[in-house]
Amino acid sequence: MSPAKKLHVLEQDEFDQLLGWLDPDPHRAGLTYEKIRRRLISILASRGCTCAEELTDEIIDRVARRVVDIRDEYVGDKAVYFLGVMNNVHHEYLKRPTMLRPPEPVDDGEAKEKTHQCLERCLATLTNNSRQMIERYYAADKQAKIDLRKRIAKEFGISPNTLRLRALRIREKLQACIEQCLQMEVL
Amino acid sequence: MTDNNVKFNDGGYRPFSDETIRRFLLGGLSASEQPLFEQRLITDDGLDARVRLAEFELADDYAFERLSTPDRRLFEQTFLLASNRQHQLRVSKALRDRFSFTAATSSEDHTVTPRWRDLFGLSRPARRIAFGVLILLLVFGTAWLVIREPRIVRQIANRLNPRRSPQRSTPREVHHPTNQSSPEHLTTPSPMPEHDQTASSPVAVTVALTPAASPKAREMPAVNLPKGDQGVVRLQLAKPVQTGPYRAELLTIEGSWIFSADSLKVDDSRAEIDFDVPARSLKSGNYHVRLSRVDGGSKRSVASYYFRVQ
Repeated sequence: MSPAKKLHVLEQDEFDQLLGWLDPDPHRAGLTYEKIRRRLISILASRGCTCAEELTDEIIDRVARRVVDIRDEYVGDKAVYFLGVMNNVHHEYLKRPTMLRPPEPVDDGEAKEKTHQCLERCLATLTNNSRQMIERYYAADKQAKIDLRKRIAKEFGISPNTLRLRALRIREKLQACIEQCLQMEVL
Repeated sequence: MTDNNVKFNDGGYRPFSDETIRRFLLGGLSASEQPLFEQRLITDDGLDARVRLAEFELADDYAFERLSTPDRRLFEQTFLLASNRQHQLRVSKALRDRFSFTAATSSEDHTVTPRWRDLFGLSRPARRIAFGVLILLLVFGTAWLVIREPRIVRQIANRLNPRRSPQRSTPREVHHPTNQSSPEHLTTPSPMPEHDQTASSPVAVTVALTPAASPKAREMPAVNLPKGDQGVVRLQLAKPVQTGPYRAELLTIEGSWIFSADSLKVDDSRAEIDFDVPARSLKSGNYHVRLSRVDGGSKRSVASYYFRVQ
């Protein structure tokens, strides 16, 4: 277990208090929690932390333990509070002995094939227009990418930037669909 | 829909450029830029949405080998530090595998015509008419030449013929199934099958495969790849007992997925299924083709074929 994990195990009531502080509505609180967590991981990875997820859990643990003390007095965007705690945790992380990065999972043939199968399934759930757009968007090779995307945008009657954003949003949907599909395969 | 509808709200601040977002993801912001970016990212939903999309774009660029060498290194050292991004990369690679072949075959359909149209300025009516007149002149000129000066035509034809002959003799590798009983088609000239006439991608090599229980069960047909990585290798799979449509998957002999094609049908004139594989996806080694039948949403394996690339 990493040093980050050794420090504290978050109790359920502390976690509930954290969610209650983030938002009185449990659903919205969950969404806010996920949003902050994802952004913290992104920032820590950008800072080059080899264990961004674990440090983020540690940040959340610390904030959860302080909620009782701060919830009545804290004013402002609550996400900013997490950022302050993150700076402390990151500072401590830099003083720790270098933590080895866990080995990356091997992309074995079976996992790859399942991903491809899920991709096919998820492509089939897209509307014709979206599927056509994503197929053509990804068909551009590196040399022809810019020219072809300009032409595709023209054909769809949109600007290249709008095409890019639409294609990436479809890509985002595909990612969520494929991850869900892979989880179903595991179950 | 205009561009304004898809722009992100950056909360009234001066928005960060896409290039800055990319540098953030690769850990390349300066000491003064980093805190400012972090402060905005943690509170700004618009920026967060842009960062998420930039993550997908970066993972795609890495998978499609569009990043420079230094950026590739930063991607591996920094970007992949978040585990969810490894999932993003896996999907990007799947998209690459799925669409890279489509790029080679179908992009021509969509891109060649507009390219020619742009080249000759055919979007303008006056140029379109001029181009039509030019074509007519060429046609009439050729006809006049054929009628009035047949000797010149013969001379041109004689000069061209020796150059064409090497192309005709390009080797075409075919391993026909051993149980084929009617060899007439080999000796009697017949019109080319329809698929050969309409194929948009050049078939460099053709090899006929028969089902086999295992790679050791019979000698695997050998394929010699064409020089360069252009073109496709056409695998002619002998028709299985079960009816289609079929899905064909190309795997290494170790079982790693390489390429697949769906909705394949039997060419009734030859009792074979054509499975075109991009030549660039093949290297020396043994390969397994798994043919499945998609039946009510479930996939059933119906035959296996094996071949080796020399």
